[in-house]
Amino acid sequence: MSVPHFRRVAAIALAAGLGLGLAACSTKGDDEADAAGKTIITVDCMPVGAQKNLLQAWNDDVKAFEAANPDIKIKSVSVGTQCANPPDFTARLNGGSMTDVFYGYMTDVQQVIDSGQAMDITAYANKDNIPTWDDVLADAKNTFTKDGKVWGIPTKNYSMGLVYNKTLFAKAGLDPKSPPKTWAEVRDAAKKIAALGDGVAGYGEYSSGNTGGWHFTAELFSQGGTPVSADGKKADFNNDMGKKVLQNLKDMRYADNSMGSRQLLGWGDLLTLAGAGKVGMFVGAPDATTAIVTQFQGKYEDWAMGPMPGQDGPAKGTLGGGEGYFFKAGLSEDQIKAGLKWLAFEKLTPGKGQFDYVRAKGLGEQVGLPQPQLFTPGSASQKAEFDLRKANGNIAPEDFAAFENNPVPIKFEPANAQGIYAILDSAMSAILTNPNANVDAELKKAEEKVNQLLAQAAK
Amino acid sequence: MAIATVPGTGIDVGSQAPQPPADPRRARRNRRIKDNLTGYGFLAGAVICFAFFSWYPMIRGVVMSFQRTRRGETTWVGWDNYDRIINDPSFWIAWKNTLYFTVLALILGYAVPFFLAVLLNEFRHAKGYLRVLVYLPVMLPPASALFLFKYLAYDPSDAGLFNAMLKAVGLPTSQWMQSADMTMPAMVLASTWMNMGGAILIYLAALQNIPGELYEAAELDGAGIWRRITNVTIPQTRLILSLMAMLQVVATMQLFIEPLILANGAGTQDSATSVVYLIYQHGFFQNDLNGAAALGVIMLVALIGFSAVYARLNAKQD
Amino acid sequence: MAQISETRSLISFAQVSRGRGKAIYWSLLITVLIVFTLVFIGPLYWMVTGALKSSPELAQTPPTLWPSDPQPANYSDAWERLALAKLLFNTVYYALGALAFQLVLDTAAAYALSKLRPRFGNIVLGAMLATLMIPAMVLIIPQYVTVIDMPILDISLIDSPFAIWLPAVANAFNIFLLKRFFDSIPEDLMSAATMDGAGSMRILWSIILPISRPILGVVSIFAVTAVWKDFLWPALVMPSPETRTISVGIYAFSGGTPQNVVVAAAVIAAIPTIIFFLIFQRSIMSGLTAGGLKE
Repeated sequence: MSVPHFRRVAAIALAAGLGLGLAACSTKGDDEADAAGKTIITVDCMPVGAQKNLLQAWNDDVKAFEAANPDIKIKSVSVGTQCANPPDFTARLNGGSMTDVFYGYMTDVQQVIDSGQAMDITAYANKDNIPTWDDVLADAKNTFTKDGKVWGIPTKNYSMGLVYNKTLFAKAGLDPKSPPKTWAEVRDAAKKIAALGDGVAGYGEYSSGNTGGWHFTAELFSQGGTPVSADGKKADFNNDMGKKVLQNLKDMRYADNSMGSRQLLGWGDLLTLAGAGKVGMFVGAPDATTAIVTQFQGKYEDWAMGPMPGQDGPAKGTLGGGEGYFFKAGLSEDQIKAGLKWLAFEKLTPGKGQFDYVRAKGLGEQVGLPQPQLFTPGSASQKAEFDLRKANGNIAPEDFAAFENNPVPIKFEPANAQGIYAILDSAMSAILTNPNANVDAELKKAEEKVNQLLAQAAK
Repeated sequence: MAIATVPGTGIDVGSQAPQPPADPRRARRNRRIKDNLTGYGFLAGAVICFAFFSWYPMIRGVVMSFQRTRRGETTWVGWDNYDRIINDPSFWIAWKNTLYFTVLALILGYAVPFFLAVLLNEFRHAKGYLRVLVYLPVMLPPASALFLFKYLAYDPSDAGLFNAMLKAVGLPTSQWMQSADMTMPAMVLASTWMNMGGAILIYLAALQNIPGELYEAAELDGAGIWRRITNVTIPQTRLILSLMAMLQVVATMQLFIEPLILANGAGTQDSATSVVYLIYQHGFFQNDLNGAAALGVIMLVALIGFSAVYARLNAKQD
Repeated sequence: MAQISETRSLISFAQVSRGRGKAIYWSLLITVLIVFTLVFIGPLYWMVTGALKSSPELAQTPPTLWPSDPQPANYSDAWERLALAKLLFNTVYYALGALAFQLVLDTAAAYALSKLRPRFGNIVLGAMLATLMIPAMVLIIPQYVTVIDMPILDISLIDSPFAIWLPAVANAFNIFLLKRFFDSIPEDLMSAATMDGAGSMRILWSIILPISRPILGVVSIFAVTAVWKDFLWPALVMPSPETRTISVGIYAFSGGTPQNVVVAAAVIAAIPTIIFFLIFQRSIMSGLTAGGLKE
């Protein structure tokens, strides 16, 4: 090969290599149908490898579903233990690298719509595609509906309560069957649990990574407050109710020293401590116990749950949240229908998928959690689900009875939640790490910042 | 570090060509065009990458800081993004924190490696071992090193390494990342441990270039060790010292992974929020890429301003 | 190791080779050896043993010097739960790819700028060097936006290794190092070859590159460590678990994983680089000190 020739070949090879490579990455996984004419959809939030049982259940479901629907092929993708961890979720959404049917939180709806990456599925979200659709809680459906258009299918709905460690309760001489119902009782119990020593915190609380603001909001709801005024323009927590939230924490942290020395906790930090048996109580959703066991080396038999505590009596509200699936823009009609069919099977049919209690019990998973509250009380689906749950329940019914029998009105998170939470984190961390922090001053500071944020967001 | 001047054309290579053809002018022009084309061919790959990933984003960053994208539609919004970002409650806190980190890192992370290098340069034994030691942390993935500090050293109870050591020698323990006052020093400490090796090695190289006669002469003049450092070592390494100061300031201004891992982001009472963390918060938590881009432009202007002032000061000293 | 350099430094040989000076020298050396070993190896020991402790032991006061009940399962747990094999593979793949792209494209560019000197070459060089002034982080948002929807090509590089490889090529510092080295290669060497009718490619391949081995080594080390240590960029452009790098993967899992398992993962992640470093330490050291920032 002569030299100039060699050069030209090399240049062409390099250019071709670049071009091919670039072309290769633009065509990943967007095929609508394979050679056999099957409709292909990709779905995310498959359980991660560490969650062996959940993963096996998911894979079995995919197999069963494909057997029942020979014209559909499901490609599952796992996106981590927290399926919609905000920065990753945003990155995928902006980059358009979500799966065809993709998981998101209830609070992501606005962002998903704004991104222009999701599809309006109003025409398809009905009984024909999801047989139990009419039984799904109106509240849950509404959270995925904006201006009369349906953008997502709810697949889980929860509300927060007080998660507590029965074993530590018993050790501290407390009655494991009657969790504290007011913040004053929480404080007493925390003191007794912390007295056990050995680095055990009576009560655990978040204060970083936007989770502190999230829990502040939940506790504010319990006082009857709300973080943002009804018109969404002003902060509404610098008042008696907001003060009580922080004062309760401050008293436990410094007056009683019953919250342990580790603060600035994020989601996993607190659950790590819980899994190690170092936390007596914390505010959380029923499935916090699932996470403690499947991810944080904890034991099911330690945990139970009561209702959200209130200031002087039952809580006036509790934070509710949920998750669901969205549909990527540009899917074919067949793909949308296939996706809905899959969601109906995996997430919205009593006795199947996430409601397959017989299988879950066989795998040694917890059955009987009062979650995912998806069906309207009194509807046929709700009754069917309830009966199955009772018939197969393997957790002591009384563990969650206090939570289930004392329903608290559910409140939803505000718009601009993440920005507000980031600000409130600062107030929470001040109260929990600085013995000289002043409740009034922290609230005032946070109020000013949230007002500033909302004023900017309104523009 | 002078950049060699590049003669503009490939003519000298071409002029070496043998056998003059019939029309030398035309042939030479053809030759020149061909040489230029060859040159562009070799440059093409890198230029394309620069175009896509450096030059274009620079322009794009400025452009998008004046735009807003919603539901796939982009509109011009004037200074709105700047207005929003400057009025972000954390804006000034982030700048204050970042500058504080930069200053602390200059004191600890700049002076310490230099004096360690001076010390290490005196040893005639175990040189290789000591060098490997100081450079070892540099090779760790940053996440590894930071989780080590976070979970095993900065534990606020007495279960952490640092508190256990302080307690063992009877000193008061610290809350580390849980104390707003300690957040920055703790991050600087971790960051210095992680990064110091590179600076030490570069200083060592510079120190080895100092002619021994200079020390000899200074000693004959009766200069003690300290005087020799100030009169010989520092002036002789001034160029590298000033270059490293500049590089370090620019590097520390980009503080991000330390707050992200050690302080879970913002840290207690916003004591760790950095400018880059704020860019990240806006871009990926608050879904505000345009505001994040505006903050990037502000940071760029600030750093260019700093470099200009620094270059000016340096020039004056000469 | 006791290699004695010819030039004297701050303190003369005479002073440290006898009497009081000698005593001070040796006690100082021994102190430094002990302190440095504790400061730089101590934390690594703490990390390796910390990852062997159970969750309650990790939270125990005072901490134990050696785990009372070692849990090697933490390591296997970390390996499996975080799919560390995959994360390590990804990181190595990205690092080697970035290395290959930089070696080919940056060397070619530096060669063109140094030896072929096409018209407007110095303008291109100036435009490249100008990017040295701009810290990576301030461009991260527009770069990210570019990568999610490449102009002209209209494709997304998210989750594609090219999102790491191609931006790595736009490295003005490496081009500058290479060009400066090529500049120092005498023209005579090449003109002889040109006389023989060798083309630019052959000159680069058989004359320039063989002499440039030292600088290529330096650039390779920079290229590999840059990818290995980068965090925010891979975190943004590789959001899927299958494509993450090791640092990003550990961080992503840290939220949902017990601390002892996270530390175990951190140890495993550190092993390849430490081995790489110990094997190549001689060339890394000399490369850094000689090739890097020296006049």
